[in-house]
Amino acid sequence: MSNPLLVFWQELFGLKDDRQQQRDQVRRLRAHPPVGSSAQASATIFLIMRRMRAPLIILILIFAVSVLGLTIVPGQDAAGQPARMTFFDAFYFMSYTATTIGFGELPTTFTDAQRMWVTVTIYLTVIGWAYAIGSMLSLLQDRSFRQAVALQRFTRKVRRLREPFVLIAGYGRTGQLLGQAFDALGQQFVVMDVSDERIDSLDLDTYHADIPGLVGDVRNPSHLGIAGLDHPFCTGVLALTNDDEANLAVTMSVALLRPELQVIARTVSPAVANRMEAFGTPKVVNPFDRFGDHLRLALRAPASYQLLTWLEAGPGAEVPERGHPPTDGRWVLCGYGRFGRELYADLRAEGLDVTVIEPQTPTHADQQAARAGAVDHAVGGAADGTADGTAAGETRIGATSPEAHVMIGDASSPMVMARADLTGAVGFVAGTDNDTTNLSLVAAARRVNPALYVAARQNVAANAPLFAAMDLDSLLVPADVVAHEVYAQLSTPLLWRFLQDLPAQGDEWAATMLQRLRAHCGRRLEALWKVQLTRTEAPALVGWLTGGNARLGDLLQSPEDRGRRLRLVPLVVRHGSEHVLAPEDDFRLQLDDEILFAGLPAERRLLETTFLDDAAREYVLFDRHVPASWIWRKLSRRPADSDRGSRAAA
Amino acid sequence: MNLEKVIFGFFVLLSATLNFGFFIGDISDPVVHNVYELFAALVVSLIATVLKFGDRTQIGAVHLATSLVADLQLLAAGVVWIFAAHVSVHGVTAESTSSVVSLSGGALLANLVSVVLLVIETVSFHRR
Repeated sequence: MSNPLLVFWQELFGLKDDRQQQRDQVRRLRAHPPVGSSAQASATIFLIMRRMRAPLIILILIFAVSVLGLTIVPGQDAAGQPARMTFFDAFYFMSYTATTIGFGELPTTFTDAQRMWVTVTIYLTVIGWAYAIGSMLSLLQDRSFRQAVALQRFTRKVRRLREPFVLIAGYGRTGQLLGQAFDALGQQFVVMDVSDERIDSLDLDTYHADIPGLVGDVRNPSHLGIAGLDHPFCTGVLALTNDDEANLAVTMSVALLRPELQVIARTVSPAVANRMEAFGTPKVVNPFDRFGDHLRLALRAPASYQLLTWLEAGPGAEVPERGHPPTDGRWVLCGYGRFGRELYADLRAEGLDVTVIEPQTPTHADQQAARAGAVDHAVGGAADGTADGTAAGETRIGATSPEAHVMIGDASSPMVMARADLTGAVGFVAGTDNDTTNLSLVAAARRVNPALYVAARQNVAANAPLFAAMDLDSLLVPADVVAHEVYAQLSTPLLWRFLQDLPAQGDEWAATMLQRLRAHCGRRLEALWKVQLTRTEAPALVGWLTGGNARLGDLLQSPEDRGRRLRLVPLVVRHGSEHVLAPEDDFRLQLDDEILFAGLPAERRLLETTFLDDAAREYVLFDRHVPASWIWRKLSRRPADSDRGSRAAA
Repeated sequence: MNLEKVIFGFFVLLSATLNFGFFIGDISDPVVHNVYELFAALVVSLIATVLKFGDRTQIGAVHLATSLVADLQLLAAGVVWIFAAHVSVHGVTAESTSSVVSLSGGALLANLVSVVLLVIETVSFHRR
């Protein structure tokens, strides 16, 4: 009953059907996620205002008493006649005295009675001001107040966004990598994370755009709402936290509140992935699964794998080295957690023999933990030289992997290594969730068999230099895998399409593509970009494109020197729903086609000149020199020549 | 009994009563309008305004608005009085007095609205 007028109105004309009202309410809820926290922020500011009440009232009272006293205390005028100060004089005097400016005794010299009173008021007002200013300053430094102000600023920034943006929930290593890639593409994004250190690091990361960041719990739908979930320009949500549970919560919130938005969620657990897929159609990225797929691709087609990783790595990535993982022989896999299982299945699917060593950790399934207890004893026995220990230690995993030799024991101990028979193996994977263990495993394996193909999993970003120094053949960094995957999916649909179709093209095709890319773009790949051959984006080419004889090769000539081919590589052409990978120069373009290019920004600008400028078009396509300006074209003798020319060519 | 409500009601009412006391009487007669009463009305009105800070309800917002109106009117009345008494060569005349008093009359109206709001708030509190 906060608004009496509304109450009155409701009681007079309370005709509105209750059910209708309920429906309205539901619709409102659906349209806008609840924004509890912004109300909370304004609540904090109201609280601050309430806390300023006491200092302000004391200040007013002190002023009032002082002024009133001054007007009552008898004084004298310039002629020595008894006179009292007026309110104006008193207020004026108190104003400059209380603020420690002190002009002196105005308008006339005070009497002793007045001076006595002024002495009292000076002390009073100094205390009053000190109290008021002190309270104000302490409030400004108040933690909750500053948080409230930050939240309000963030809310305002997000509300004022007027371009499509992506909401990144979780700003860890993956989020940072993606942020840099998005920034290079000119894609706006909003960041949210639980840790205020990571949000503070937004200021240190030098982005071109102003990136709003909020410290908040991504599991809270109202926080997501503030971060732009209900914003009309929000195009997608990325759930990239380390916590599967939180990512699931984000997926759920988006599916329920904005079902039309694209969601990409990271998880390492197939069970959570299933639960995510129960809500609409989120794209779930499992870094372990993806690494396994990549490794399979690398085994089958090293060049395809090289091309894939290069394109996925985002703007400015250097060309990765082409590895040659051994395709036959036995692999040794250390660590049989989620990652180990995924990789085991993938390696088996490629028809490779795998020996698994599981360092005994109580964190895995109960069954395994129980077995580990038994085996600990057996391994201890083996260390004493008993042969039984080996037999007991070598257990087989039941239904999931009938042929796996799973050994449980500390993989870095020489005895276990010897049992795994590294000398007879070709590949070694250190895949535990502990970086120190992985590094020592790699070192131990190399000592036994220096010729091994070694892959390792890096869990913590800070350890990157150590893994780099180990010079591994293949390195899994889950954060990077997710970042690359999300980049490939979000940067442009054409790139995603290209990467999907890439493995089917074969290894030799990929090697040729790599050579072309290396020849035209150098060792570093700048951002890929898309052109649309529409009437708005390529107005100069419309006549040529509708002619039906538009060779792609003709277009890719420099408007400065027609003889020079632009150093661009067309990756995909989309025509309607049909995609052509790596189109040749003879490819015929049509209106409304889309092309994905790789190439340097300078070449891109040259190509865009051809798209927009009639004179450049005439030169590039037909080797004709036409006046560039409208006036000169009108003044030249054959005004309609260029148009006719292009039509004739068509 | 809520002490905050007592203090709040006290200042709202006191500001209205002081304002009324200054306002009542012949509008152009400086003798019946004591300037000390104007001063007291202004100070109490300022305190009432500060007391209304930070109330998030709709009625609280209207309270604050009426209080700000009263302050503005009383300040204007005070400035007119200072101008008449100190700056103007004619001193406090019947015209200046009537303009001071009429300004305080506006403030009185705002203060009455405040009192009405206070009553409504109390009544709706009981009904809840």
